[in-house]
Amino acid sequence: MRIRHAPAVTVTRRGVLVVAVTLPLGGLFQAALAANPAKHVDLDISSDGDLLAFRPDHLSCPAGASVHLTFYHTGKYVSQDHDWVLTRPGAAEAVAQAALEASEKSRWVPGKDPRVLAATPPCAKGQQVSVDFTAPAPGDYPFLCTTPGHGAVMHGVLHVTPG
Amino acid sequence: MLRPVTSIRRLAGALAFCLIVPALAAEPQSPDMVKNGLHILAGIYGDMDRKLTAGQYDRLPHENQEFEEGSGALRDAVAHDPAAFKDKVEAALKESLAAAQKVADESKSHDKSKVSAALASLASSMKALNALFPPALRAEPGTVDPPWVKHQK
Repeated sequence: MRIRHAPAVTVTRRGVLVVAVTLPLGGLFQAALAANPAKHVDLDISSDGDLLAFRPDHLSCPAGASVHLTFYHTGKYVSQDHDWVLTRPGAAEAVAQAALEASEKSRWVPGKDPRVLAATPPCAKGQQVSVDFTAPAPGDYPFLCTTPGHGAVMHGVLHVTPG
Repeated sequence: MLRPVTSIRRLAGALAFCLIVPALAAEPQSPDMVKNGLHILAGIYGDMDRKLTAGQYDRLPHENQEFEEGSGALRDAVAHDPAAFKDKVEAALKESLAAAQKVADESKSHDKSKVSAALASLASSMKALNALFPPALRAEPGTVDPPWVKHQK
């Protein structure tokens, strides 16, 4: 029976040094990650006065960020409610259509639709509403107002950048 | 008898007066507010149009209410303009308000052709309203997006 010997391992000073330095550094990195939770981002957006438009219509945040978004209804004359609804890419038109086609009684509820990632409650003129959500993976995510008929013109894009 | 040169000068002066006076009258004191007011009304018209397309007749009376509210923006916008101009705007606005009311009234019938006709009549009255102002301030019905809004879906 032949016994196979393990190859000899040469332990050099340099090797010892590298291990001695990298092991504690790795531990520190892990600790830093644990102590540094998702970045917090505050986003503000408003209606363009009484017009059916968001101002600004482009927002940005890093992926994984803990986002607190506040929507301000700056209308002065028209008593139309607005909301801010973030959808999956490519779903904005379908969501706007679903809201438009819902009957007056069974009002479409954004939060219950799987195509919706985040949504504020409806907001009356002169008021403000907010929503907290975790920013999704990097990409461009459409947002819109789902008050029936508004989504066709009142929309924008959230750019999620790599964290 | 007048000399030909003097006649031509007088004629040119009268012509210039005729051209300049209406142009000055059409230039409102608060152009940004006028632009905003006209765009609010055009936006609501667009909303009515979308609801008609979707067959959402029950929502049209609410749009009429919004049209009425939105007209306040245009009234405020011309509040400091000369009375004669304000009267013209008010008369045209009343036409549009009556036309918007007609849209709401016809919506109860759920008859698409009747509501479409009422909406077309509203569009005509809004064009007349817009015509009172310089082209740069106008928002014709059917131009749904305010021109400064460029979206990407």
